[in-house]
Amino acid sequence: MAADVTTEDFTNLQLLLKAPTKDAVRDVCVQSHRGPSRQLTETTAATFSIPAAQAAQLTQSLHTLSHHVLFQNLTSPDQILAVFPEYFHSSLKNLITKILLENGPEWRSEVLSHQVSLPQLQDLDWRVDLVSSSDSLSRVAVPTCLVQLKMEDPCPSADGDSVSTVTVELSRESLDTILDGLGRIRDQLSVVAGK
Amino acid sequence: MQLHSIKDVLPDSVSSDFQNLNRVNKQEFCHLTEILFQFLLEPKEVKRFMQQLLDFAGEHGMSAGPLRSLMRSVLLVSQGALKKNLTAEQMSEDLLTLGLNEDKATYFSQKWGEHYPALSKQAVGQTLKVNQLVDMEWKFGVTVGTSEVQKAGSIFLQLKLMVRRGNSTQNLYMELTLPQFYHFLHEMERAKANMDSFN
Repeated sequence: MAADVTTEDFTNLQLLLKAPTKDAVRDVCVQSHRGPSRQLTETTAATFSIPAAQAAQLTQSLHTLSHHVLFQNLTSPDQILAVFPEYFHSSLKNLITKILLENGPEWRSEVLSHQVSLPQLQDLDWRVDLVSSSDSLSRVAVPTCLVQLKMEDPCPSADGDSVSTVTVELSRESLDTILDGLGRIRDQLSVVAGK
Repeated sequence: MQLHSIKDVLPDSVSSDFQNLNRVNKQEFCHLTEILFQFLLEPKEVKRFMQQLLDFAGEHGMSAGPLRSLMRSVLLVSQGALKKNLTAEQMSEDLLTLGLNEDKATYFSQKWGEHYPALSKQAVGQTLKVNQLVDMEWKFGVTVGTSEVQKAGSIFLQLKLMVRRGNSTQNLYMELTLPQFYHFLHEMERAKANMDSFN
């Protein structure tokens, strides 16, 4: 959940002034966005020559800032610069803004594709069979369609698998009905897109 | 006895049952035939079938027991004939072999021919189906925002597929993005084109 950026966060961000290179700043910004981790804290502490506690606070504040920018969808330099307080170090502010702008689109599409959702359809395979015989009729000539759906659950249960596969059999009538429904969806989508 | 409809050994009662059937008069035979075909077309209506036989027995002064076993034999032959996709002619031959008189055999096989398309459609419907799709519900909309992104505008489509597994129905829920939806639609259209080529 995107929290507001506090004064304390900006104080922590000033620690970035201790970075050896601009790339180090970029790295820690990008990795903090994913989330705090012990490894990240250790690496940051080593790179910036700061105590672990301060490194942890720095990564947390960076995380808060990047998520705030993402949540508010701040896409112009001015919008991001406006988040910083007046007293904040000017070049550092510009550097952080630049990094946030660079990564913004990628972060946005990543979060939209990983949002809360039902299991996502990952893959679809189909096969049409011609049933030639059965125990209820010795000679048949009925086509039937088998569709295999591969779904990925973004939030699987504790012992459940993330990817599940199910094969469904469709008669010709079912397939017609499905296509009818899908066609209506497509029509509605083009109405929405046209607006 | 060589029948088209049944290759196994027939139970002993079948011959005598068909002989008994000869004793029924024309009008009664027509009525019985009607009851039988109604059941063959709707094999789930067992109670109704039994009730109709009981009523018939009452109306025509027959005892229910012998009537039921008689119909059982006729059913046996009919179901075998359906499995073997018998034509009206072959049905007639079988009935004559079983000892049914010519009038009744001709009448029955004529009715068989008339009902055959509906009967085989019904039999196809009973063919083994694995995870058959019974129903599909859908809804689509726009994601307005999430906890990570205050203003979003992506389109989502949610599908609920109801699949028959044995005696119960399982619900499958899934979500598709717009490109996935178009891919799904495209693939289903290809499958349909393929199926249609079998006509």
